[in-house]
Amino acid sequence: MTALLELRQVSKTFGGLRANWNVSFSVEARSITGLIGPNGAGKTTLFSCMTGYYPPTHGDVLFQGKRINGMRPDEVCRIGMVRTWQKVRPMAKLSVLDNVMVGALLRTWSLRRARSIAEEQLHAVSLDKQAHMLAGALPIGQRKRLEVARALATKPELLLLDEVMGGLNPAESNEMIALILQLRTRGVTLVVIEHDMRAIMAVSDRVLVLNSGELLADGAPREVAENPAVIDAYLGQRVES
Amino acid sequence: MSSEVQTRVTTEAKTSLNASQRVAVLVGLLTLMFACLPFFVTKPYLLHMGVLLFLAVIQGQAWNILGGYAGQHSLGHAAYFGLGAYTTVMLMEQSQISPFVGIWVGVIVGAAVSYMIGAITFRLRGPYFVLASISVAEIIRLLALHYKDVTRGAEGFLISTVPVLQLGPIEVDFIGKRPFYFAALIVALITTALSYAVQHSKIGYYLQAVREDQDAAHSIGINLQAYKCLALVISAAFTAWAGGFYALFVKFIDPDTVFGLDLSVQILLTCIVGGIGTLLGPALGALVLIPLSEILRNPKGLVQLGLVASDSSVVRVIEERFSNAHSFVYGLLLVVIILFAPEGLFGVLKRLLAPARSERQAS
Repeated sequence: MTALLELRQVSKTFGGLRANWNVSFSVEARSITGLIGPNGAGKTTLFSCMTGYYPPTHGDVLFQGKRINGMRPDEVCRIGMVRTWQKVRPMAKLSVLDNVMVGALLRTWSLRRARSIAEEQLHAVSLDKQAHMLAGALPIGQRKRLEVARALATKPELLLLDEVMGGLNPAESNEMIALILQLRTRGVTLVVIEHDMRAIMAVSDRVLVLNSGELLADGAPREVAENPAVIDAYLGQRVES
Repeated sequence: MSSEVQTRVTTEAKTSLNASQRVAVLVGLLTLMFACLPFFVTKPYLLHMGVLLFLAVIQGQAWNILGGYAGQHSLGHAAYFGLGAYTTVMLMEQSQISPFVGIWVGVIVGAAVSYMIGAITFRLRGPYFVLASISVAEIIRLLALHYKDVTRGAEGFLISTVPVLQLGPIEVDFIGKRPFYFAALIVALITTALSYAVQHSKIGYYLQAVREDQDAAHSIGINLQAYKCLALVISAAFTAWAGGFYALFVKFIDPDTVFGLDLSVQILLTCIVGGIGTLLGPALGALVLIPLSEILRNPKGLVQLGLVASDSSVVRVIEERFSNAHSFVYGLLLVVIILFAPEGLFGVLKRLLAPARSERQAS
């Protein structure tokens, strides 16, 4: 069985800076992969390499067995891989509903159809009450959820979440964890960048650790959390269960 | 979805329907008024102003599709206006091709050139795109000035007569202002309808997403280059049509009037004053700016219309104080609008109407 996503020795350098170096891993369909690492480890850059924002300097990105280096972000989204943004990017002067409709319009020309998809997705992230507010007026926690709803409206196979729990309160985090787990039952595969170890341990089937652009560890959550190299580089202490 | 949310959504939907109905009524009334006007007032000055007004509406609506919806603030639309004008006139004068065919060739030329320009300049964002759009228009103006053997350079073209248009059994003779008046009114309506159609379609949603955040739009599957080019081509096509029509109406063109930066700025001002990115903004802007600039430039027009007596002090004051300063009055108006109504006159109008609407709902 081919993996849904496969990275083969992907490197991305900016001049002399190695943002990603020789990163290889694959993601099975319907799995949840956690991606962690210290600030500046290259997590977001890796997402950008996967989704067409940067061409990798070396190596290949394969999606559904097909090499996608050099594809534009909109093409990557069309074939079923979509990212969210760590620094949220709401379309401030459009309503919350319109924001999500823009995502839904990828798969349809009908505004009515797009509206019903968008309402569904807003309901999934519990933003239905805010549907007619301007996106720019939302507080940060709701903006993060809007980001997820808009990405989901494009009907992705693979959803890349970039720190969607940053800035959420514990109750909101728990809702987001529930949403992520529920997405998997709907057949969506996820790669999740997160700093909140509690959340990562709760959702991930497998955890990847990036450090200085290189893959430091790759394994089951517990295994990774107890890996001395990871503790050294990132965690600083054992995670108490 | 809770029932409370459900009701709110339906009321919202109802209000928005009412809003577009109100807009339709407003457009209908304005059209009716303008369509009846020539039957009551036959003063050529007024009809002349009407044609300029409709042309400004067409240009404003065309610009608004690219600048208002897609957020790409072009300051080079004179390029397409001039291409439309020159194509129409050169085909007529040099190849004896009917201007009623030539104007459409002008539209195609304008659209084709805009596509090529877009392919290059849309790599640039924000102010860099604005600067590139100015440069491209200036390059075209300088080329038109330089290649005298093709374009007659600064001398320009003077048209003697516009031939009779044969529409099936009907003959339309473009003598006098009236036929121009109705033709421009119809096309102004068409561009407004087009703007409405764009706003209420996938294209409109995509263009607004591009305006709000290009990277975010790209990540959710919008082909930035394709949609920006689409907006530009639609915009340029109507601007080129306006250019061809202007040439036939005014009967004189030279590079500085039809390719000049002044014209590009004028188009942008119409939209800023009326309200960028709104359906009726460009029309409102034109309604204010065109009469204002005509009266400031030529206050005797007021006398012709019988609005003031020929020895009225109003005419004298305007002639003495403002005739050379119409740009100053323009600038002042712009500053006032940007400071106090940055969303334009359409925004002000909406604000004024809003309380009335909620009262009606409450009752």
